[in-house]
Amino acid sequence: MIQLIIAHNTFREATRDRVLAGVLVCGLVMMLATQLMTPLAMGESFRLTMDLGLTTISMLGMLVILMVGTNLVGKELEKRTIYNLLSRPIPRWAYLVGKWAGLSAALWAVAALLGLALFAIMAAGGLGAHPVAVAQSVYLAGLELTVMTAIAVLFSAFSTPVLSALYTMALYAVGQWSYDLRAFAENFPPALGGTLQAIANLVPNLPVFNMRTLAAEGMPTGVEHLGVATLYALVYVAGVLALATAVFESRDFK
Amino acid sequence: MQGSIIPMSLRAAAGPESTVLASGGDGPAVRTVGLGKHYRHPWTLRVTRGLEDLNLEVMRGEVFGYLGPNGAGKTTTLKLLCGLHRPSAGNAWLLGVPIHDEASRRRIGFLPEHPYFYDHLNGVEYLEFAARLSGLHAADARRRARHWMERVGLAGQEGRTLRKYSKGMLQRIGLAAALVHDPELLILDEPMSGLDPFGRRDVRDLILEQKARGVTVLFSSHILPDVEMICDRVAILLGGRLNRVATVGEIVASGAQTIEIRCTGVGVIALPPAWQGVLDRREHAHETVFVLADDSRTSEILQWLTGHGVQVRAVTPQRPTLEELFMQAAAGGSFAAPRLAEDRP
Repeated sequence: MIQLIIAHNTFREATRDRVLAGVLVCGLVMMLATQLMTPLAMGESFRLTMDLGLTTISMLGMLVILMVGTNLVGKELEKRTIYNLLSRPIPRWAYLVGKWAGLSAALWAVAALLGLALFAIMAAGGLGAHPVAVAQSVYLAGLELTVMTAIAVLFSAFSTPVLSALYTMALYAVGQWSYDLRAFAENFPPALGGTLQAIANLVPNLPVFNMRTLAAEGMPTGVEHLGVATLYALVYVAGVLALATAVFESRDFK
Repeated sequence: MQGSIIPMSLRAAAGPESTVLASGGDGPAVRTVGLGKHYRHPWTLRVTRGLEDLNLEVMRGEVFGYLGPNGAGKTTTLKLLCGLHRPSAGNAWLLGVPIHDEASRRRIGFLPEHPYFYDHLNGVEYLEFAARLSGLHAADARRRARHWMERVGLAGQEGRTLRKYSKGMLQRIGLAAALVHDPELLILDEPMSGLDPFGRRDVRDLILEQKARGVTVLFSSHILPDVEMICDRVAILLGGRLNRVATVGEIVASGAQTIEIRCTGVGVIALPPAWQGVLDRREHAHETVFVLADDSRTSEILQWLTGHGVQVRAVTPQRPTLEELFMQAAAGGSFAAPRLAEDRP
Protein backbone atom coordinates (compact mmCIF):
# COMPACT_ATOMS: atom_id res chain seq x y z
CA MET A 1 0.00 0.00 0.00
CA ILE A 2 1.93 2.95 -1.35
CA GLN A 3 -0.51 5.37 0.32
CA LEU A 4 0.50 4.05 3.75
CA ILE A 5 4.18 4.63 2.98
CA ILE A 6 3.45 8.23 1.98
CA ALA A 7 1.12 8.63 4.97
CA HIS A 8 3.85 7.36 7.28
CA ASN A 9 6.31 9.89 5.90
CA THR A 10 3.77 12.72 6.18
CA PHE A 11 2.96 11.69 9.75
CA ARG A 12 6.66 11.61 10.57
CA GLU A 13 7.16 15.03 8.99
CA ALA A 14 4.22 16.53 10.89
CA THR A 15 5.23 15.05 14.23
CA ARG A 16 8.84 16.19 13.82
CA ASP A 17 7.64 19.70 13.03
CA ARG A 18 7.72 22.21 15.87
CA VAL A 19 4.20 23.37 15.00
CA LEU A 20 2.65 20.20 16.36
CA ALA A 21 4.69 20.26 19.57
CA GLY A 22 3.82 23.93 20.01
CA VAL A 23 0.14 23.19 19.51
CA LEU A 24 0.23 20.43 22.11
CA VAL A 25 1.91 22.66 24.69
CA CYS A 26 -0.47 25.50 23.86
CA GLY A 27 -3.46 23.16 24.27
CA LEU A 28 -2.28 21.95 27.65
CA VAL A 29 -1.65 25.49 28.85
CA MET A 30 -5.11 26.60 27.69
CA MET A 31 -6.82 23.67 29.39
CA LEU A 32 -4.94 24.29 32.63
CA ALA A 33 -5.74 27.99 32.36
CA THR A 34 -9.48 27.21 32.35
CA GLN A 35 -8.97 25.84 35.87
CA LEU A 36 -8.00 29.33 37.00
CA MET A 37 -11.41 30.57 35.85
CA THR A 38 -13.47 27.86 37.55
CA PRO A 39 -13.93 29.90 40.79
CA LEU A 40 -15.74 32.47 38.62
CA ALA A 41 -17.92 29.84 36.95
CA MET A 42 -20.55 29.86 39.71
CA GLY A 43 -21.08 26.12 39.82
CA GLU A 44 -20.58 25.63 36.11
CA SER A 45 -16.98 24.49 36.39
CA PHE A 46 -17.63 21.20 34.66
CA ARG A 47 -19.47 22.82 31.75
CA LEU A 48 -16.77 25.48 31.39
CA THR A 49 -13.88 23.03 31.48
CA MET A 50 -15.50 20.57 29.07
CA ASP A 51 -16.69 23.22 26.62
CA LEU A 52 -13.41 25.15 26.52
CA GLY A 53 -11.39 21.93 26.44
CA LEU A 54 -13.26 20.57 23.43
CA THR A 55 -13.18 23.95 21.68
CA THR A 56 -9.43 24.06 22.25
CA ILE A 57 -9.03 20.67 20.54
CA SER A 58 -11.03 21.77 17.49
CA MET A 59 -9.44 25.22 17.20
CA LEU A 60 -5.88 24.01 17.62
CA GLY A 61 -6.51 21.20 15.12
CA MET A 62 -7.73 23.80 12.63
CA LEU A 63 -4.63 25.87 13.35
CA VAL A 64 -2.47 22.87 12.41
CA ILE A 65 -4.49 22.38 9.21
CA LEU A 66 -4.07 26.04 8.28
CA MET A 67 -0.35 26.04 9.05
CA VAL A 68 0.61 22.58 7.77
CA GLY A 69 -2.30 21.14 5.79
CA THR A 70 -2.78 24.02 3.38
CA ASN A 71 0.93 23.82 2.62
CA LEU A 72 0.95 20.05 2.32
CA VAL A 73 1.28 19.81 -1.47
CA GLY A 74 2.46 23.40 -2.06
CA LYS A 75 5.54 22.86 0.08
CA GLU A 76 6.44 19.74 -1.88
CA LEU A 77 6.06 21.66 -5.13
CA GLU A 78 8.04 24.62 -3.88
CA LYS A 79 10.86 22.48 -2.48
CA ARG A 80 10.56 20.06 -5.42
CA THR A 81 10.57 17.06 -3.09
CA ILE A 82 7.58 15.90 -5.13
CA TYR A 83 10.04 14.90 -7.89
CA ASN A 84 11.34 12.16 -5.61
CA LEU A 85 7.86 10.72 -5.22
CA LEU A 86 6.04 11.09 -8.50
CA SER A 87 9.01 9.91 -10.57
CA ARG A 88 8.37 6.53 -8.94
CA PRO A 89 5.46 4.18 -9.69
CA ILE A 90 2.95 6.15 -7.65
CA PRO A 91 -0.47 7.17 -8.99
CA ARG A 92 -1.20 10.79 -8.23
CA TRP A 93 -4.40 9.91 -6.35
CA ALA A 94 -2.37 7.64 -4.06
CA TYR A 95 -0.01 10.52 -3.36
CA LEU A 96 -2.89 12.81 -2.33
CA VAL A 97 -4.56 10.10 -0.24
CA GLY A 98 -1.23 9.40 1.45
CA LYS A 99 -0.68 13.08 2.28
CA TRP A 100 -4.22 13.38 3.64
CA ALA A 101 -3.98 10.19 5.67
CA GLY A 102 -0.62 11.16 7.17
CA LEU A 103 -1.72 14.57 8.38
CA SER A 104 -5.08 13.22 9.52
CA ALA A 105 -3.27 10.61 11.61
CA ALA A 106 -1.12 13.33 13.17
CA LEU A 107 -4.26 15.36 13.98
CA TRP A 108 -5.97 12.31 15.48
CA ALA A 109 -2.90 11.84 17.68
CA VAL A 110 -3.06 15.50 18.81
CA ALA A 111 -6.80 15.27 19.44
CA ALA A 112 -6.35 12.04 21.42
CA LEU A 113 -3.53 13.47 23.53
CA LEU A 114 -5.44 16.67 24.28
CA GLY A 115 -8.58 14.58 24.98
CA LEU A 116 -6.60 12.53 27.49
CA ALA A 117 -5.30 15.73 29.05
CA LEU A 118 -8.86 17.07 29.31
CA PHE A 119 -10.00 13.85 30.92
CA ALA A 120 -7.10 13.94 33.39
CA ILE A 121 -7.67 17.61 34.27
CA MET A 122 -11.35 17.02 34.97
CA ALA A 123 -10.67 13.90 36.98
CA ALA A 124 -7.94 15.61 39.00
CA GLY A 125 -10.13 18.66 39.53
CA GLY A 126 -12.91 16.52 40.99
CA LEU A 127 -15.29 17.60 38.23
CA GLY A 128 -16.32 14.09 37.26
CA ALA A 129 -14.54 12.50 34.34
CA HIS A 130 -17.37 11.39 32.00
CA PRO A 131 -15.00 9.35 29.85
CA VAL A 132 -17.65 8.36 27.28
CA ALA A 133 -18.70 11.94 26.56
CA VAL A 134 -15.06 13.05 26.30
CA ALA A 135 -14.13 10.13 24.04
CA GLN A 136 -17.13 10.65 21.75
CA SER A 137 -16.49 14.40 21.53
CA VAL A 138 -12.82 13.86 20.70
CA TYR A 139 -13.79 11.25 18.11
CA LEU A 140 -16.18 13.68 16.40
CA ALA A 141 -13.59 16.47 16.58
CA GLY A 142 -11.15 14.08 14.91
CA LEU A 143 -13.67 13.39 12.14
CA GLU A 144 -14.18 17.13 11.63
CA LEU A 145 -10.43 17.67 11.36
CA THR A 146 -10.18 14.77 8.92
CA VAL A 147 -12.77 16.40 6.66
CA MET A 148 -11.08 19.78 6.89
CA THR A 149 -7.69 18.17 6.09
CA ALA A 150 -9.17 16.76 2.88
CA ILE A 151 -10.41 20.25 1.97
CA ALA A 152 -6.96 21.70 2.69
CA VAL A 153 -5.39 19.03 0.45
CA LEU A 154 -7.84 19.92 -2.32
CA PHE A 155 -6.94 23.61 -2.25
CA SER A 156 -3.28 22.83 -1.77
CA ALA A 157 -3.35 20.73 -4.96
CA PHE A 158 -3.96 23.74 -7.19
CA SER A 159 -3.40 26.90 -5.19
CA THR A 160 -0.74 28.76 -3.26
CA PRO A 161 -0.44 28.10 0.49
CA VAL A 162 -1.83 31.52 1.42
CA LEU A 163 -4.87 31.19 -0.84
CA SER A 164 -5.37 27.58 0.27
CA ALA A 165 -5.44 28.76 3.89
CA LEU A 166 -7.97 31.48 3.04
CA TYR A 167 -10.23 29.09 1.11
CA THR A 168 -10.03 26.44 3.82
CA MET A 169 -10.81 28.98 6.54
CA ALA A 170 -13.74 30.32 4.52
CA LEU A 171 -15.18 26.82 4.02
CA TYR A 172 -14.72 26.07 7.70
CA ALA A 173 -16.65 29.21 8.64
CA VAL A 174 -19.44 28.54 6.13
CA GLY A 175 -19.50 24.86 7.13
CA GLN A 176 -20.12 25.79 10.76
CA TRP A 177 -23.21 27.71 9.63
CA SER A 178 -24.49 25.21 7.08
CA TYR A 179 -27.78 24.61 9.01
CA ASP A 180 -28.41 28.33 9.18
CA LEU A 181 -27.59 28.69 5.50
CA ARG A 182 -30.27 26.13 4.68
CA ALA A 183 -32.82 27.93 6.84
CA PHE A 184 -31.77 31.23 5.30
CA ALA A 185 -32.30 29.85 1.77
CA GLU A 186 -35.99 29.29 2.48
CA ASN A 187 -36.53 33.06 2.66
CA PHE A 188 -35.65 33.53 -1.02
CA PRO A 189 -37.42 32.86 -4.31
CA PRO A 190 -36.96 29.28 -5.57
CA ALA A 191 -34.11 30.04 -8.02
CA LEU A 192 -31.87 31.85 -5.53
CA GLY A 193 -33.06 29.70 -2.64
CA GLY A 194 -32.23 26.56 -4.60
CA THR A 195 -28.74 27.86 -5.32
CA LEU A 196 -28.20 28.61 -1.65
CA GLN A 197 -29.49 25.16 -0.72
CA ALA A 198 -27.08 23.60 -3.18
CA ILE A 199 -24.19 25.57 -1.68
CA ALA A 200 -25.29 24.55 1.80
CA ASN A 201 -25.28 20.93 0.69
CA LEU A 202 -21.84 21.21 -0.88
CA VAL A 203 -20.05 22.87 2.02
CA PRO A 204 -19.07 20.50 4.83
CA ASN A 205 -21.86 19.96 7.30
CA LEU A 206 -19.68 20.60 10.33
CA PRO A 207 -22.41 20.81 13.00
CA VAL A 208 -22.81 17.04 12.61
CA PHE A 209 -19.40 16.71 14.29
CA ASN A 210 -20.30 18.97 17.21
CA MET A 211 -21.59 17.48 20.45
CA ARG A 212 -20.03 20.04 22.74
CA THR A 213 -23.39 21.20 24.18
CA LEU A 214 -24.29 17.61 25.04
CA ALA A 215 -20.85 16.82 26.43
CA ALA A 216 -20.94 19.95 28.56
CA GLU A 217 -23.88 18.34 30.32
CA GLY A 218 -21.83 15.17 30.76
CA MET A 219 -24.14 13.29 28.41
CA PRO A 220 -23.03 10.90 25.68
CA THR A 221 -24.51 10.91 22.21
CA GLY A 222 -26.15 7.98 20.47
CA VAL A 223 -24.42 5.39 18.33
CA GLU A 224 -26.61 6.49 15.39
CA HIS A 225 -25.15 9.99 15.57
CA LEU A 226 -21.62 8.60 15.60
CA GLY A 227 -22.44 6.26 12.72
CA VAL A 228 -24.00 8.98 10.57
CA ALA A 229 -21.12 11.36 11.29
CA THR A 230 -18.56 8.67 10.40
CA LEU A 231 -20.34 7.77 7.17
CA TYR A 232 -20.77 11.42 6.22
CA ALA A 233 -17.06 12.11 6.88
CA LEU A 234 -15.99 9.12 4.78
CA VAL A 235 -18.22 10.05 1.84
CA TYR A 236 -17.30 13.73 2.01
CA VAL A 237 -13.55 12.99 2.22
CA ALA A 238 -13.80 10.55 -0.71
CA GLY A 239 -15.60 13.18 -2.82
CA VAL A 240 -13.13 15.94 -1.96
CA LEU A 241 -10.08 13.75 -2.62
CA ALA A 242 -11.60 12.59 -5.94
CA LEU A 243 -11.98 16.26 -6.92
CA ALA A 244 -8.42 16.99 -5.77
CA THR A 245 -7.16 14.09 -7.91
CA ALA A 246 -9.05 15.38 -10.96
CA VAL A 247 -7.35 18.77 -10.54
CA PHE A 248 -3.94 17.32 -9.72
CA GLU A 249 -3.87 14.66 -12.42
CA SER A 250 -3.04 16.99 -15.30
CA ARG A 251 -0.66 19.22 -13.36
CA ASP A 252 2.93 19.74 -14.52
CA PHE A 253 5.60 20.16 -11.90
CA LYS A 254 7.99 22.98 -12.69
CA MET B 1 33.15 15.03 3.06
CA GLN B 2 34.58 16.60 -0.03
CA GLY B 3 36.19 13.47 -1.38
CA SER B 4 34.94 10.72 -3.60
CA ILE B 5 31.30 9.99 -4.10
CA ILE B 6 32.15 6.31 -4.23
CA PRO B 7 34.95 4.97 -2.08
CA MET B 8 37.75 3.38 -4.06
CA SER B 9 37.24 0.04 -2.34
CA LEU B 10 33.69 -0.07 -3.59
CA ARG B 11 34.30 1.16 -7.09
CA ALA B 12 35.94 -1.88 -8.48
CA ALA B 13 32.96 -4.15 -8.49
CA ALA B 14 29.24 -4.00 -8.29
CA GLY B 15 28.01 -4.47 -4.71
CA PRO B 16 26.62 -7.68 -3.31
CA GLU B 17 23.11 -6.30 -3.74
CA SER B 18 23.56 -5.60 -7.38
CA THR B 19 22.56 -8.06 -9.98
CA VAL B 20 24.07 -7.94 -13.42
CA LEU B 21 21.23 -7.40 -15.84
CA ALA B 22 20.91 -9.42 -18.95
CA SER B 23 22.22 -7.37 -21.82
CA GLY B 24 20.00 -6.58 -24.73
CA GLY B 25 16.32 -7.15 -23.99
CA ASP B 26 13.31 -6.47 -26.10
CA GLY B 27 13.20 -3.17 -27.90
CA PRO B 28 14.68 0.13 -26.89
CA ALA B 29 14.89 1.22 -23.26
CA VAL B 30 13.44 4.61 -24.19
CA ARG B 31 11.33 5.33 -27.23
CA THR B 32 9.54 8.54 -28.03
CA VAL B 33 7.28 9.15 -31.01
CA GLY B 34 6.26 12.72 -31.82
CA LEU B 35 6.64 13.68 -28.17
CA GLY B 36 5.87 17.34 -27.55
CA LYS B 37 5.18 19.72 -24.72
CA HIS B 38 3.50 23.10 -25.03
CA TYR B 39 2.80 25.48 -22.19
CA ARG B 40 -0.13 27.87 -22.28
CA HIS B 41 0.11 30.98 -20.15
CA PRO B 42 -3.01 31.05 -17.93
CA TRP B 43 -3.72 34.76 -18.49
CA THR B 44 -2.39 35.64 -21.92
CA LEU B 45 -3.11 32.14 -23.35
CA ARG B 46 0.16 32.48 -25.23
CA VAL B 47 1.63 29.11 -26.11
CA THR B 48 5.30 28.37 -25.51
CA ARG B 49 6.70 25.30 -27.21
CA GLY B 50 9.02 23.47 -24.83
CA LEU B 51 9.56 20.39 -26.95
CA GLU B 52 8.53 19.59 -30.50
CA ASP B 53 8.02 16.26 -32.22
CA LEU B 54 10.73 14.31 -30.46
CA ASN B 55 11.47 10.95 -32.08
CA LEU B 56 14.19 9.20 -30.18
CA GLU B 57 15.35 5.72 -29.28
CA VAL B 58 17.80 4.86 -26.53
CA MET B 59 18.91 1.25 -26.82
CA ARG B 60 19.20 -1.06 -23.82
CA GLY B 61 22.59 -1.04 -22.16
CA GLU B 62 23.90 2.14 -23.72
CA VAL B 63 25.00 5.38 -22.10
CA PHE B 64 23.16 8.11 -23.90
CA GLY B 65 24.00 11.80 -23.50
CA TYR B 66 21.27 14.35 -23.96
CA LEU B 67 22.78 17.70 -24.83
CA GLY B 68 21.55 21.16 -25.49
CA PRO B 69 21.89 24.72 -24.27
CA ASN B 70 19.70 26.08 -21.48
CA GLY B 71 16.06 26.10 -22.50
CA ALA B 72 16.57 23.55 -25.27
CA GLY B 73 14.05 21.16 -23.71
CA LYS B 74 16.34 18.62 -22.03
CA THR B 75 14.77 18.80 -18.58
CA THR B 76 11.30 18.96 -20.13
CA THR B 77 11.99 15.68 -21.94
CA LEU B 78 13.28 13.96 -18.83
CA LYS B 79 10.31 15.21 -16.79
CA LEU B 80 7.92 13.94 -19.44
CA LEU B 81 9.58 10.53 -19.32
CA CYS B 82 9.40 10.43 -15.52
CA GLY B 83 5.74 11.44 -15.31
CA LEU B 84 6.37 14.88 -13.81
CA HIS B 85 4.99 16.59 -16.92
CA ARG B 86 2.12 15.42 -19.08
CA PRO B 87 2.83 15.37 -22.83
CA SER B 88 0.88 17.73 -25.12
CA ALA B 89 1.54 15.49 -28.11
CA GLY B 90 2.97 12.11 -28.98
CA ASN B 91 3.85 9.25 -26.71
CA ALA B 92 6.83 7.59 -25.11
CA TRP B 93 7.72 4.18 -23.71
CA LEU B 94 10.16 3.24 -20.98
CA LEU B 95 11.33 -0.37 -21.19
CA GLY B 96 8.34 -1.03 -23.40
CA VAL B 97 5.72 0.43 -21.03
CA PRO B 98 3.91 3.64 -22.06
CA ILE B 99 4.73 6.58 -19.81
CA HIS B 100 1.10 7.26 -18.94
CA ASP B 101 1.19 3.96 -17.04
CA GLU B 102 2.76 4.33 -13.57
CA ALA B 103 4.30 0.88 -14.03
CA SER B 104 6.71 2.45 -16.55
CA ARG B 105 8.47 4.03 -13.58
CA ARG B 106 8.88 0.82 -11.59
CA ARG B 107 12.26 -0.07 -13.10
CA ILE B 108 13.71 3.41 -13.52
CA GLY B 109 15.87 5.53 -11.27
CA PHE B 110 15.65 9.31 -11.63
CA LEU B 111 17.93 12.00 -10.31
CA PRO B 112 16.50 15.49 -10.85
CA GLU B 113 18.68 18.51 -11.41
CA HIS B 114 19.50 20.11 -8.04
CA PRO B 115 17.80 17.34 -6.09
CA TYR B 116 15.73 18.33 -3.06
CA PHE B 117 15.00 16.14 -0.10
CA TYR B 118 12.92 15.87 3.03
CA ASP B 119 14.82 17.80 5.67
CA HIS B 120 13.20 15.90 8.51
CA LEU B 121 14.63 12.54 7.44
CA ASN B 122 18.11 11.19 7.95
CA GLY B 123 20.05 9.49 5.16
CA VAL B 124 18.95 5.93 5.88
CA GLU B 125 15.33 6.91 6.42
CA TYR B 126 15.30 8.73 3.10
CA LEU B 127 16.81 5.85 1.14
CA GLU B 128 14.46 3.41 2.86
CA PHE B 129 11.53 5.64 1.93
CA ALA B 130 12.74 5.85 -1.69
CA ALA B 131 13.19 2.09 -1.90
CA ARG B 132 9.73 1.42 -0.48
CA LEU B 133 8.17 3.86 -2.94
CA SER B 134 9.79 1.88 -5.73
CA GLY B 135 8.10 -1.27 -4.49
CA LEU B 136 10.62 -2.94 -2.17
CA HIS B 137 9.47 -4.62 1.04
CA ALA B 138 10.37 -3.02 4.37
CA ALA B 139 13.18 -5.41 5.33
CA ASP B 140 14.72 -5.32 1.86
CA ALA B 141 14.42 -1.53 1.72
CA ARG B 142 16.19 -1.19 5.06
CA ARG B 143 19.02 -3.49 4.00
CA ARG B 144 19.54 -1.73 0.68
CA ALA B 145 19.34 1.71 2.29
CA ARG B 146 22.24 0.86 4.60
CA HIS B 147 24.15 -0.75 1.74
CA TRP B 148 23.81 2.32 -0.49
CA MET B 149 24.73 4.73 2.31
CA GLU B 150 28.02 2.90 2.55
CA ARG B 151 28.33 2.56 -1.20
CA VAL B 152 28.20 6.31 -1.85
CA GLY B 153 30.63 7.04 0.95
CA LEU B 154 28.13 8.18 3.56
CA ALA B 155 28.77 5.42 6.10
CA GLY B 156 28.75 6.95 9.56
CA GLN B 157 26.28 9.66 8.51
CA GLU B 158 23.20 7.47 8.95
CA GLY B 159 21.71 9.40 11.86
CA ARG B 160 22.37 12.86 10.48
CA THR B 161 19.29 14.67 9.11
CA LEU B 162 19.47 15.72 5.46
CA ARG B 163 19.23 19.42 6.35
CA LYS B 164 22.77 19.10 7.72
CA TYR B 165 24.21 17.52 4.55
CA SER B 166 26.55 19.47 2.25
CA LYS B 167 25.76 19.89 -1.46
CA GLY B 168 28.10 17.08 -2.44
CA MET B 169 26.56 14.77 0.16
CA LEU B 170 23.07 15.58 -1.11
CA GLN B 171 24.12 14.74 -4.66
CA ARG B 172 25.42 11.41 -3.41
CA ILE B 173 22.25 10.61 -1.51
CA GLY B 174 20.27 11.57 -4.62
CA LEU B 175 22.28 9.11 -6.69
CA ALA B 176 21.86 6.45 -4.03
CA ALA B 177 18.09 7.06 -4.05
CA ALA B 178 18.02 6.68 -7.82
CA LEU B 179 19.90 3.38 -7.57
CA VAL B 180 18.59 1.88 -4.33
CA HIS B 181 16.08 -0.40 -6.08
CA ASP B 182 18.52 -1.59 -8.80
CA PRO B 183 16.77 0.08 -11.74
CA GLU B 184 17.20 -1.07 -15.33
CA LEU B 185 17.07 2.47 -16.66
CA LEU B 186 18.77 5.41 -15.03
CA ILE B 187 17.64 8.93 -15.97
CA LEU B 188 19.92 11.63 -14.64
CA ASP B 189 19.34 15.34 -15.12
CA GLU B 190 22.65 17.18 -14.95
CA PRO B 191 24.21 14.70 -12.50
CA MET B 192 27.60 16.44 -12.56
CA SER B 193 26.21 19.91 -12.02
CA GLY B 194 27.87 21.71 -9.13
CA LEU B 195 30.29 18.90 -8.33
CA ASP B 196 34.03 19.32 -7.95
CA PRO B 197 36.36 17.34 -10.28
CA PHE B 198 36.48 14.42 -7.82
CA GLY B 199 32.72 14.30 -7.60
CA ARG B 200 32.41 14.41 -11.39
CA ARG B 201 34.89 11.58 -11.77
CA ASP B 202 32.92 9.52 -9.28
CA VAL B 203 29.66 10.11 -11.11
CA ARG B 204 31.36 9.09 -14.34
CA ASP B 205 32.66 5.93 -12.67
CA LEU B 206 29.24 5.18 -11.29
CA ILE B 207 27.61 5.58 -14.69
CA LEU B 208 30.18 3.29 -16.30
CA GLU B 209 29.74 0.78 -13.51
CA GLN B 210 25.99 0.75 -14.08
CA LYS B 211 26.58 0.32 -17.80
CA ALA B 212 28.75 -2.70 -17.00
CA ARG B 213 25.77 -4.14 -15.11
CA GLY B 214 23.64 -3.72 -18.22
CA VAL B 215 21.79 -0.64 -17.00
CA THR B 216 20.76 1.89 -19.63
CA VAL B 217 21.77 5.41 -18.69
CA LEU B 218 20.16 8.51 -20.18
CA PHE B 219 21.58 11.71 -18.85
CA SER B 220 21.66 15.38 -19.67
CA SER B 221 24.76 17.41 -19.09
CA HIS B 222 26.48 20.67 -19.86
CA ILE B 223 29.87 19.21 -19.07
CA LEU B 224 30.81 18.03 -22.52
CA PRO B 225 34.25 16.55 -21.80
CA ASP B 226 32.47 14.14 -19.44
CA VAL B 227 29.91 13.32 -22.10
CA GLU B 228 32.68 12.72 -24.61
CA MET B 229 34.34 10.30 -22.19
CA ILE B 230 31.42 8.07 -21.27
CA CYS B 231 28.64 8.25 -23.84
CA ASP B 232 28.00 5.68 -26.53
CA ARG B 233 25.74 8.11 -28.35
CA VAL B 234 24.50 11.62 -27.88
CA ALA B 235 21.42 13.53 -28.95
CA ILE B 236 21.62 17.25 -29.48
CA LEU B 237 18.58 19.34 -28.84
CA LEU B 238 18.31 22.93 -30.05
CA GLY B 239 15.30 25.16 -29.48
CA GLY B 240 13.08 22.27 -28.42
CA ARG B 241 13.85 20.21 -31.51
CA LEU B 242 16.12 17.24 -31.93
CA ASN B 243 19.04 18.31 -34.08
CA ARG B 244 21.09 15.15 -34.30
CA VAL B 245 21.65 11.70 -32.82
CA ALA B 246 25.04 10.13 -33.37
CA THR B 247 28.05 8.63 -31.67
CA VAL B 248 30.50 11.12 -30.21
CA GLY B 249 33.07 9.92 -32.76
CA GLU B 250 30.73 10.62 -35.67
CA ILE B 251 29.96 14.10 -34.47
CA VAL B 252 33.59 14.97 -33.88
CA ALA B 253 34.61 13.43 -37.23
CA SER B 254 32.05 15.59 -38.99
CA GLY B 255 33.91 18.72 -37.86
CA ALA B 256 36.59 20.20 -40.13
CA GLN B 257 40.08 18.79 -39.54
CA THR B 258 43.03 21.16 -39.32
CA ILE B 259 46.75 20.36 -39.37
CA GLU B 260 49.06 21.83 -36.77
CA ILE B 261 52.81 22.07 -37.53
CA ARG B 262 54.99 22.92 -34.55
CA CYS B 263 58.52 24.01 -35.39
CA THR B 264 61.54 25.94 -34.18
CA GLY B 265 64.14 27.98 -36.02
CA VAL B 266 61.60 29.85 -38.10
CA GLY B 267 63.06 33.23 -37.10
CA VAL B 268 62.24 35.97 -39.56
CA ILE B 269 61.35 33.74 -42.50
CA ALA B 270 58.64 35.32 -44.62
CA LEU B 271 56.06 32.90 -46.00
CA PRO B 272 55.15 32.95 -49.70
CA PRO B 273 52.21 35.32 -50.31
CA ALA B 274 50.31 32.48 -52.07
CA TRP B 275 49.86 30.76 -48.71
CA GLN B 276 47.97 33.63 -47.16
CA GLY B 277 44.64 32.30 -45.99
CA VAL B 278 45.90 28.72 -46.18
CA LEU B 279 48.30 28.94 -43.30
CA ASP B 280 47.84 30.63 -39.97
CA ARG B 281 51.08 31.49 -38.17
CA ARG B 282 51.14 31.72 -34.33
CA GLU B 283 54.28 32.71 -32.48
CA HIS B 284 54.86 31.18 -29.05
CA ALA B 285 57.72 31.63 -26.58
CA HIS B 286 59.86 28.72 -27.79
CA GLU B 287 58.23 27.69 -31.02
CA THR B 288 56.14 28.70 -33.99
CA VAL B 289 52.88 26.95 -34.79
CA PHE B 290 51.46 26.86 -38.31
CA VAL B 291 47.82 25.85 -38.61
CA LEU B 292 46.62 24.59 -41.99
CA ALA B 293 42.93 24.78 -42.77
CA ASP B 294 43.14 21.35 -44.46
CA ASP B 295 45.80 18.76 -45.28
CA SER B 296 45.83 19.18 -49.09
CA ARG B 297 49.08 21.18 -49.07
CA THR B 298 50.76 19.70 -46.01
CA SER B 299 53.58 17.96 -47.92
CA GLU B 300 54.33 21.07 -50.00
CA ILE B 301 54.49 23.30 -46.91
CA LEU B 302 56.62 20.83 -44.97
CA GLN B 303 59.10 20.61 -47.86
CA TRP B 304 59.31 24.38 -48.08
CA LEU B 305 59.82 24.74 -44.33
CA THR B 306 62.57 22.10 -44.11
CA GLY B 307 64.17 23.56 -47.24
CA HIS B 308 64.46 26.90 -45.43
CA GLY B 309 66.20 25.37 -42.40
CA VAL B 310 63.17 25.12 -40.16
CA GLN B 311 63.19 22.27 -37.64
CA VAL B 312 59.78 20.58 -37.67
CA ARG B 313 59.01 19.12 -34.23
CA ALA B 314 55.47 17.79 -34.76
CA VAL B 315 52.73 17.55 -37.35
CA THR B 316 49.36 16.89 -35.72
CA PRO B 317 45.93 16.57 -37.25
CA GLN B 318 43.44 18.44 -35.05
CA ARG B 319 39.75 17.61 -34.65
CA PRO B 320 37.39 20.04 -32.94
CA THR B 321 36.17 18.85 -29.55
CA LEU B 322 32.53 18.05 -28.95
CA GLU B 323 32.39 21.23 -26.92
CA GLU B 324 33.66 23.37 -29.80
CA LEU B 325 31.21 21.79 -32.23
CA PHE B 326 28.40 22.16 -29.77
CA MET B 327 29.19 25.83 -29.21
CA GLN B 328 29.21 26.44 -32.96
CA ALA B 329 25.87 24.73 -33.38
CA ALA B 330 24.27 26.50 -30.43
CA ALA B 331 25.55 29.85 -31.66
CA GLY B 332 23.49 29.54 -34.82
CA GLY B 333 25.56 27.31 -36.99
CA SER B 334 24.42 23.77 -37.23
CA PHE B 335 25.53 20.26 -37.17
CA ALA B 336 24.78 18.32 -40.28
CA ALA B 337 21.16 18.14 -41.38
CA PRO B 338 18.90 16.76 -38.66
CA ARG B 339 19.08 13.01 -38.38
CA LEU B 340 16.69 11.35 -36.06
CA ALA B 341 16.62 8.06 -34.25
CA GLU B 342 16.53 6.03 -37.41
CA ASP B 343 20.16 6.72 -38.25
CA ARG B 344 21.45 4.96 -35.19
CA PRO B 345 24.61 3.07 -36.19
